[in-house]
Amino acid sequence: MRHSAPNTMKIPSLVIVAAARTPFSRAGTDLAHLDAVELGRHAVSALLTRTGIDPMLVDETILGCVGQPPEAMNIARVIALRAGLPESKPAMTVHRNCASGLEAITLAHAKMCAGQGEVFVVGGTESMSSMPFYFSRPAVEKFTALSRARDFSGRARAALHFRLADFAPVIGLKLGLTDPVSSLNMGQTAEVLAREFGITREMQDAFAMRSHLRATQANHLLNQEIAPVLGHNVIATDNGIRPDSSLEKLGKLKPLFDTVTGSVTAGNSSQITDGAVALLVATEEAAAAHNWKPLGRLVSYAATGCDPARMGLGPVRALDAALHRSGWKLDDADVFEINEAFAAQVLAVMKCLADPASARRAGLEAPLGELDPAKINACGGAIALGHPVGATGARLVQTALNQLHANDGKRAVISLCVGGGQGMAACLEAL
Amino acid sequence: MNLKQNILIQLKAMKTLLLNCPAIIHDPPHVLEDIIHGHPVPLKHFRLDIDHDGIAWINFDSPKSSANVWNEETLREFNHLLETIEHDTRVKALVLRSAKERIFIAGADIKAIRSMQHVRVNDLIWLGQAVFDRLARLPMPKIAAIHGACMGGGFEVTLACDWRIASDHESTKIGLPETQLGILPAWGGSTRLSRIIGVRKALDLITTGKLLNASAAKHAGLVSHVVAMENLEPLARRLVREKIPSRRLRLENLLAPVIGCLAQRKVLARTRGLYPSITKAVEVVTRAVRGEIESGLLLERNAVAELIQSRDSARLIDLFFKREEANKRSASSGTALPIHDATVIGAGVMGAGIAHTLASRGIRVLMTDVTNDSLARGLERIHGLVSDATRRRLVTQVQARDTLDRISTTHVPVPMNRHHLVIEAATESMELKKKIFADLAVRVSADTILATNTSALSVSDLAKTVPHPERVIGLHFFNPVHRMPLVEIITLPETSPDVLATAVSFVQKLGKTPVVVKDSPGFLVNRILVPYLMEAVRLHESGISVKDIDDAMLEFGMPMGPMRLLDEIGLDVAAHVAKTLASAFPDRFPHTDALDKMVAAGHLGKKTGQGFYRYANGQEIVSTTHTDLPRHESIQTNLALLISQEAMRCLKEGIARNADDIDLAMVLGTGYPPFRGGPITFARDTGIIDY
Repeated sequence: MRHSAPNTMKIPSLVIVAAARTPFSRAGTDLAHLDAVELGRHAVSALLTRTGIDPMLVDETILGCVGQPPEAMNIARVIALRAGLPESKPAMTVHRNCASGLEAITLAHAKMCAGQGEVFVVGGTESMSSMPFYFSRPAVEKFTALSRARDFSGRARAALHFRLADFAPVIGLKLGLTDPVSSLNMGQTAEVLAREFGITREMQDAFAMRSHLRATQANHLLNQEIAPVLGHNVIATDNGIRPDSSLEKLGKLKPLFDTVTGSVTAGNSSQITDGAVALLVATEEAAAAHNWKPLGRLVSYAATGCDPARMGLGPVRALDAALHRSGWKLDDADVFEINEAFAAQVLAVMKCLADPASARRAGLEAPLGELDPAKINACGGAIALGHPVGATGARLVQTALNQLHANDGKRAVISLCVGGGQGMAACLEAL
Repeated sequence: MNLKQNILIQLKAMKTLLLNCPAIIHDPPHVLEDIIHGHPVPLKHFRLDIDHDGIAWINFDSPKSSANVWNEETLREFNHLLETIEHDTRVKALVLRSAKERIFIAGADIKAIRSMQHVRVNDLIWLGQAVFDRLARLPMPKIAAIHGACMGGGFEVTLACDWRIASDHESTKIGLPETQLGILPAWGGSTRLSRIIGVRKALDLITTGKLLNASAAKHAGLVSHVVAMENLEPLARRLVREKIPSRRLRLENLLAPVIGCLAQRKVLARTRGLYPSITKAVEVVTRAVRGEIESGLLLERNAVAELIQSRDSARLIDLFFKREEANKRSASSGTALPIHDATVIGAGVMGAGIAHTLASRGIRVLMTDVTNDSLARGLERIHGLVSDATRRRLVTQVQARDTLDRISTTHVPVPMNRHHLVIEAATESMELKKKIFADLAVRVSADTILATNTSALSVSDLAKTVPHPERVIGLHFFNPVHRMPLVEIITLPETSPDVLATAVSFVQKLGKTPVVVKDSPGFLVNRILVPYLMEAVRLHESGISVKDIDDAMLEFGMPMGPMRLLDEIGLDVAAHVAKTLASAFPDRFPHTDALDKMVAAGHLGKKTGQGFYRYANGQEIVSTTHTDLPRHESIQTNLALLISQEAMRCLKEGIARNADDIDLAMVLGTGYPPFRGGPITFARDTGIIDY
């Protein structure tokens, strides 16, 4: 498999100057009353407050959002205007499913290369609590016919066509988490990986507990990322973390996606969560010109495709490509953030990176190496913190850089699997 | 046949003869001269265009002025126009509009009225009534297309029209504020308004004098359509072809006497009879709603003739002009720079109030405090203010949302070098303020204006602690911020003219009235108020009941008695300010430790449920005592004298620029009875001090 060689041409380097995020909150709880626009506005506003920069300096706003609210089309533009960014600067919303937050950052880099801007506000926002319910297609057609009726008798006739089944809502969230090409939902793809790579229930639960305990220990670091939401109560921490997580508690849960023979449960999957993240990124030159002290540099990134039924393996080839572009080896990284869509999925990825047979199945010519478990998700991951799908990619960047700074690390590698059969990865350097 | 009816009949006969028009009120003789002899009035203020559809477009555009007002000249010219229209058979409809950018018709020329002899005022009332009545009787559809300020006489002329349509622009404000100037709508407003919107709403509008924006005006029934300014003309064209809305007989108008009685009771409870213009207005509106328009007009004329005799109206008008001037006049030197980004330090009652006011006027505000909890409480306060304003239709949902969007918060230090202005509104502790200012000095840029909202501490001492003290200034807001119009701007000798000019302009853009004062203990308002409050406490200590003291001052015209005010301010706060003043002026201030005793006992006033009064659920539990009038008078004299004396001292010491500023500040900052003009005017009028 060919990848492009590391590019030696003089292209702009993207540096991450600052970051801010909302607390991550389980859907239907603390942040359920705020929609994706409010969450995104909060994060961007906190970013501008923390940095004190002149909003006029921002060339464009790019935000990821998977479940865009219908009343806020191009949510990035709505958020940008409401957060006080200038009317005269453009904004766009991006969608690469679970990696949308990272896509926003890499797209900013691509625009920098194209001379389309030097300073960007990027990130992502998601309110999974607010995902709409839909009417079925036949119901929509009947409603349309009803609205077209001119007179009473016409309306009466149109009304008589409705059946009870037409009023049963289709749950948008469920639709969103199902891949149409393979007809499997995300959890089902995790089950595929669990059985094909021999990831047992116990292994998954252990990994899930690890996520919660690491998050609990790293509480202080995580809370520094957060700009508290002030309402009746002050919401200043992620509320999905369970400090008392144990194998016993996790063991009690029933498998969610395959009730008969499955091993993937709600406890060892990522949580459905509301949250938003905003980052200030700039070319290295622009950051220097404005006297900003950046947190880190984006060294390389890659997006790759894979079998939609095994979307969880996406990170394997994406990591290979990103590492190749940066010229790093797997060992060179001090910090790894691999998004915990499912414990089974992360464990399968680790196996594919290390074991030759699995590596070949995942599309690598040769394994990349053994990942030191201590370096992976040291602050916990989406299993404990939650996975607001449009925002997570950006949070991984924020958390990775914070870890490097806290522990004097130099290099970080982040990666996400993407529903629909993709993977995305990036290499970051501390500054 | 009584005298009144006799006169009416004779006058009717004269006018029919002279004006060749049925049933129009007669002008007094000397005014008629010009009209009888047919002197042509060249059009200076109006333009008349009659288009091919037969619509007469009257454009009111007074030369060399940004405003249109009704005075003798403009009324005569308008009358002439009406006469022209009456005799032109082409004309099928009439539209009245203004060419000014932000003003339809601002009302009567109050300045002219103030300087007129009373007899001339009555003539002017006659004239306006006659002309508007002539308009009302034109046999064709008449539309008033309102864009901009439409108040008093400006609105009264539209009541003589069949349609009133308004633009949705933010400068469009409609109302009848005459009672606030000691008179009442006397150009048909008191007669015609109730026939359009009902006597109850008419009484509310006229007695409060409130000005409504376009959507509130439509909601109240004052205008029928609200459209974008550019659409006023096409809408008018459409309406001339539609049927004129018929005035349905309002059931409530039949009950006018009862409604009027209830309204009068409310007014008397509110004003204690101290604002005769309001009680008179209720009387006139209630009686004028039934019967002929002419008898209503007669009631209006008689009422104005009576009200204009008293000094109250003159004082209220003077105050109105003083305030207008303070609201518009820029600082004498220096350049005012606009403020777009500001920080407010402190999310308490004052901090949150100030942050809300700034944000509602388009300024981006960073509100800071030491904990997230205090910030959350501050934000809740702001949310409450905003929902209140939305509910009362003062702002739209979008405006409310925009206001909230402009407010960001932080409890940790962040860069502030882009901020033009920082307003410190933290606790009244010099030590804390010095710390805050020291931190600000490193965080902001050299030309950021550092302002403090302190009510009693020395701005000058604070300025000494930071580099570039010429940018330090006091901006003293009053509680509650969104309602109190006064802001004391406290300057130091070293304050730069640019900073002062910016501060003045900033306060004006907030819609508040600035009064510039020198840094001295208590500044202006508290310096005058606190000794008065302390004297009231001393009177109480000497045996006079709390209720007697408060009642006496309520009868004097204060909105709240001094004992009750102390409870509201908080006895601890008042004691603190009193001590500061006592140490600054040791020879003068009556020392009383009654407050200290009460504070020590935990009675801090309303906030703790007991002060001089007891409170349950925030409501005062009134104790009954019998009132003793002669005693009230002596209390009034005593306390009012004290206020005036201290005000005079401030004048002599040059704390404020002039006597007008002192009067204005006391009226706006403490509710000192406006009809007395202010403490210095009161002293001058009554001679209680050798002025």
